[in-house]
Amino acid sequence: MSENPTPAAVEPTERYKILIVVLTMITTVITAIVATLQADANIRANNANRDSQYYAILASGELHRSGLQSSYDLNTFAKILYETQTSLMMQFTALQSEQGGDKFGTALNKISALAAQSRADKLMSFSIFFTDERYAPKTSDGMPDTEAYLKDANAKATEIVEQQNAAADEYHKWSRKADSYVGVLTVMAVAFFLFGLAQALTGKMRLVFVIFGVVTLMAASSWAMLILVV
Amino acid sequence: MLKRLNESPRLEVFIAIIIAVVSLTTALAAWRASMVSSAAGDAIRQGLIDALKKQAAASEDWRRTYEEAGHAQTYAVALAQVEAFENSGDKAAQAQAATMRQYLLPNLQLVSELTTDERYLKSDGTYDLDLRFADLEAAVPDLGSLDPQASFKLADQYSSEQRWLTVGVVLLAISLFWLALSQLSLKRSRLATLAVGVGIYLFGLVWFGLVELIFFSVRGGAL
Repeated sequence: MSENPTPAAVEPTERYKILIVVLTMITTVITAIVATLQADANIRANNANRDSQYYAILASGELHRSGLQSSYDLNTFAKILYETQTSLMMQFTALQSEQGGDKFGTALNKISALAAQSRADKLMSFSIFFTDERYAPKTSDGMPDTEAYLKDANAKATEIVEQQNAAADEYHKWSRKADSYVGVLTVMAVAFFLFGLAQALTGKMRLVFVIFGVVTLMAASSWAMLILVV
Repeated sequence: MLKRLNESPRLEVFIAIIIAVVSLTTALAAWRASMVSSAAGDAIRQGLIDALKKQAAASEDWRRTYEEAGHAQTYAVALAQVEAFENSGDKAAQAQAATMRQYLLPNLQLVSELTTDERYLKSDGTYDLDLRFADLEAAVPDLGSLDPQASFKLADQYSSEQRWLTVGVVLLAISLFWLALSQLSLKRSRLATLAVGVGIYLFGLVWFGLVELIFFSVRGGAL
């Protein structure tokens, strides 16, 4: 019997064990990072969702307000047109009555014309179409710029709706990211399972599951990087 | 001595106790992070409810403002007509103006606050609708003083805190992993992994405490 000590061979049960431990550790760190990114994406999605809802409320309020204002302004403008036309018509009628020798009718029509004209003149001071330089007629017999008025009336609501759309897009972007990170975390769980299985097995099967685990880990990491960058 | 310590059964028990403590701490930290997340959600919900109430109140105030503006306009136009009749020199018109001034104008004036309160009358004979709207808003301070942005700001603070607490939870989870590794590892590396685990745990604990302290003071003492 030889008394020389034989070189210590690595037991089959211990082979690749350290490698599996290191890989499991790497998987844990990557999973922790992805979990943090998922939480962050979720928070950003929630905030964008909140903003989009808030802007929607503001937009509906502004549309209601601008609708009331437009209704008031256009109604005033319609009254001016009506009273001006009435005044003109009554003046013509007074002229006809005068030519017909109807003194009483002439006086009555003149009063009506005066009443309509005084109402029209007063209404003009209430109308944005005659007091605001942006919309007022450029000539004495010209018409107000109603197109410019309508464009300006909806400008604020349009601006809020644009902000709302931007916030909604932002929400969809971060929500998709958060969902994708959940997918990555699920694949990470599979990697954990494979490394755990590798730890429990011996021989060639251990190596096979280590390779499966590494491939899964790399795929999940690449996916996470892709989500982060895109 | 290190070898003796590594192989000591007491160390195994010590690691098991540490793992139990870290597990409990991680669970508590996760619970706190979840609570903060929930508080952020509550603040967002409150902000949206406030925004809706405030907007509904503002819409009603605008509706009332323009309704009163219509009545005030009718009064102003009738007054202009009366003045035109009075200055016309026509006796019939003047008689009609006197009757209108006596019976029609006082009643038309009563319909709108814009015509009874001189503060609203502008120098050009029209009415200050913005001032009327501001007064209507101020008349219901409960709704007018609602501030959705304040709730959203609070929600942002909670969300920010949740972000950093999640990092703390992750640190605690990593420390748990290292401690588990220490329990299972080969005898020579047990102490090293235990030290790393405890180190990360303490760092995570300090991190968590600091985050809580900072946001606690930012919110003026509110949890």
